[in-house]
Amino acid sequence: MSSKLYPFSAVIGQEELKLSLLLNAVNPKIGGVVIRGEKGTAKSTAVRALGALLPGEQRAVEKTGCTPAVVTLPLNATEDMVAGGIDFQRTMKEGRRAFQPGLLAKADGGILYVDEVNLLDDHIVDIVLDAAASGENRVEREGISFSHKASFVLVGTMNPEEGEIRPQLLDRFGLCVEVTAESDSDKRAELMVRREAFDADSRGFILKYRKENERISEKIVAARSLLHRVSVPSHLRGFVTELCRENNVAGHRADLVMEQAAKAHAAYRGTGEITVDDITAVAGLVLAHRRRDPVPPPPPEQPQEQRSEPEKSDPENDERREQPREEAGQGRNGDPGNASRQEEVDKGDREENKTDDTDGSSGTGDNAVTPEMEQFFDVGTTFKVRKISSPKDRKTRRGSGRRSRSRVSQKQGRYTKSTILRKNNDIALDATLRAAAPFQRHRDNERGMAVVLREQDIREKIREKRLGNLLIFVVDASGSMGAKGRMVASKGAVMSLLIDAYQKRDKIAMVSFRKDEAVVNLPVTSSVELAATMLREMPVGGRTPFSAGMVKGYEIARNHLIKEPEARPILIVITDGKANKALGPGKPLDEAFEVSRKISGEERIRFLVVDTEEPGLINFGLAGKIAGLLGAEYYKIGDLQAGSLLNIVKNATT
Amino acid sequence: MNTKTQHAYPFTAIVGQDQMKLALILNIINPTLSGVLIRGEKGTAKSTAVRALADILPEIDVIEGIPFNLAHDEDPDVIRECFRVMGQEIPSGDTVPLKKHKVRVVELPVGATEDRVVGTLDLEHALKAGEKRIEPGLLAAAHRGILYVDEVNLLDDHVVDVLLDSAAMGVNTIEREGVSFSHPSRFTLVGTMNPEEGELRPQLLDRFGLCVHIEGSSDPVERVSVMERRFAFEETPEAFCARWKEESAGLVGRIRRARELYPKVTVSRDNLLAIANYCLEVGVDGHRGDIIIMKTAKTIAAYDGREKVEKADIDKAVMLALPHRIRRQPLQDIVMDVGTVLQR
Repeated sequence: MSSKLYPFSAVIGQEELKLSLLLNAVNPKIGGVVIRGEKGTAKSTAVRALGALLPGEQRAVEKTGCTPAVVTLPLNATEDMVAGGIDFQRTMKEGRRAFQPGLLAKADGGILYVDEVNLLDDHIVDIVLDAAASGENRVEREGISFSHKASFVLVGTMNPEEGEIRPQLLDRFGLCVEVTAESDSDKRAELMVRREAFDADSRGFILKYRKENERISEKIVAARSLLHRVSVPSHLRGFVTELCRENNVAGHRADLVMEQAAKAHAAYRGTGEITVDDITAVAGLVLAHRRRDPVPPPPPEQPQEQRSEPEKSDPENDERREQPREEAGQGRNGDPGNASRQEEVDKGDREENKTDDTDGSSGTGDNAVTPEMEQFFDVGTTFKVRKISSPKDRKTRRGSGRRSRSRVSQKQGRYTKSTILRKNNDIALDATLRAAAPFQRHRDNERGMAVVLREQDIREKIREKRLGNLLIFVVDASGSMGAKGRMVASKGAVMSLLIDAYQKRDKIAMVSFRKDEAVVNLPVTSSVELAATMLREMPVGGRTPFSAGMVKGYEIARNHLIKEPEARPILIVITDGKANKALGPGKPLDEAFEVSRKISGEERIRFLVVDTEEPGLINFGLAGKIAGLLGAEYYKIGDLQAGSLLNIVKNATT
Repeated sequence: MNTKTQHAYPFTAIVGQDQMKLALILNIINPTLSGVLIRGEKGTAKSTAVRALADILPEIDVIEGIPFNLAHDEDPDVIRECFRVMGQEIPSGDTVPLKKHKVRVVELPVGATEDRVVGTLDLEHALKAGEKRIEPGLLAAAHRGILYVDEVNLLDDHVVDVLLDSAAMGVNTIEREGVSFSHPSRFTLVGTMNPEEGELRPQLLDRFGLCVHIEGSSDPVERVSVMERRFAFEETPEAFCARWKEESAGLVGRIRRARELYPKVTVSRDNLLAIANYCLEVGVDGHRGDIIIMKTAKTIAAYDGREKVEKADIDKAVMLALPHRIRRQPLQDIVMDVGTVLQR
């Protein structure tokens, strides 16, 4: 198959990408590269093409022959595929446990390539990272204890639209490249010509570029042998440290990586001495994902701050992240500082509405005068949402997604236990052998196998992975929500939850309540796009029929549970709790409390209340009370944000 | 296979839906266009059209005896390995027995398990008898053919991952408990979906070369002939198919000639620049858009029996290749009409 690879030297443009790959090929100590960018920008092509360039002598050669220099880790890889597991054939024939190496063993000395690394299951990521960091793969499972050398260059690609990568993982990658499509039309035209030439006659095309490929290959070999002789002048060490300090990187990894990358760069140039140019050539690649804005002394919650920071303050990163915010906010700037300024403008714009509201928010819940006029509000600033998930239980489900842990009835996820129940032919070899062991002495061995198995010995795996949930949004769209840009912020919060829902592959439904009734804006669907459109177009105004909204949301959850009894719906209520319209004859607030208490009886539904009441002179805390009755998790809009502590500090100082 | 084709509604008898028919035909002429995504409401002949393809598909040579649809010039090691895992005798001598069959339309049901798609190793048999046994999946059957996914937006994420992996590499790997087996799997992906039920992941969206929107016809005359033909077909399928036979044969011939002509089709530098500039202007992610437009334009020229790509071919190609590639805001619907984007 490798004969059909597009040649590395025929890749047009993408100089940073090519440089970062070459540097890693010269010096694996750099620690890999993560390639971020839109689809169709030669990310995978370049990585796979590099494999064809790697000199063979460094690769692990197995009995089966030469392993490819680039080992692809598919997203559906299981733990035993990655780390290795029992070799059943030898186990059965020889009657002793034999280890079968996995992808990490294959990648030893080469490149481990993960396409869409941000979508990889967490537990696989952990295995890969451990091996990448230690250069060794340890397997302690299914009764085998084994370790082998696994030193490889980790190359990951990702499209940030699909969700961000864990910051811990990001930092492990030595270099980071942001790729975009070529903006020069001449180059784009040339690119089309080459691609078509390759598709028409791949062999001839490869032949045409063989010389150039060989030249690069030789340069890599030469650079590798030169590498250990490259020295870093001490004044340049100071320069490296200075660069890292200026960019406020955390820890020392950046310094070390930069030195290694500069060494590789010098060696690739064919010189033994690093110059300033070598350092400046690689600095961008090293700092891209580690750069942070200067921050005031960190708050005591160190771990939390660590998690959010590298993402938040990486400028390259911000550029991309700004896009969604901007668009969600319809022209609003994503930067928190600007957002608050924008907020001021909004307030100015809605002077009229503000005066209307003064009665609304200062009166008590049930006799407040709410404006009957209908308004439309922008979607406020969006943000990264904190983790929301259902607790683990013992039920088995199937499906996909990445929100809440669950046992699954498919051959995916982490093998946690074995069971005697036969369901999907996902056989747990270790457990099966253990079950068969006591009976070996009494069984006829006709086939000359080391172990004789019978039907009743077979055990299957119980696996666990994350699945999506059903999120039901119950949005208060009454007049009191229109006050003081509250609806803008609330819509921003819902939009943030929606983006999160898309990334976690949830199903969603949306109910809004205003005036006299609650409306199902969106029945259960996977179309987050539709929900986003509904949200943008949601009118605001009128009284607050809170209980009607809750009942509608509850009905959706119930109906869904009838269809899928194992589902775990999460009902998210966004409200200030100021109910002033009842379904029945009772007082609206009392009814709201009563309904909340009753609904909380359904244990399969999980509740979350987002309180939109802004702290003022008089706080009613009604949403808080409702949350208490529902047994719900309770957040203010600001608390929804992941790692919000850091942002609070930031805002206070700007 | 053959019994089914007799009763398939003839492709040429489908009323209207010209964009969809063109997109499908172009993919048959040029498999490197990598598929079509057909978006539209229910009951718009989406599935009918795809199933009807069987009618007009060309024949290919495949290696006999193993279910992998291998071409005779496949890597000999790969061929040997494929025979081995099926427990078949590896043919001796230089020539492997070939047989002809039509390019296949393999349907991937939405609820399909990963095993069914990728193929599986019969572990129980292996444990009891001590030997490997591979059961090839849909990706083996779809090699060099068409993989059809109805309601592709409802496909489980893990199946999508598998599709993306093999679409990217042209190879499918069956891997379980230390057994690993790879076989070639290059297919034209044809998907249908109703956008109201959710969007596709950008990565998967991008894998479809072309994208068409279809809706029910608003022309009463067309609607009537839809009903008439459907009725006639259901009454007497054989007679109906016979009536369209000539037309089908004509299309088959035209497709065959286009396939032969395609390698000779050229695009002028000016036209290439026009494509690049267009993509830059409307804002398309990456380069796949450019490449697909060029290939589509060339294929359209070949279908018309010309050796030179004209500006009109590019305009047509843009309508097919760009709807799902124009950069959009997160959680925003994809554009229905490419022409409107520039006017904005």
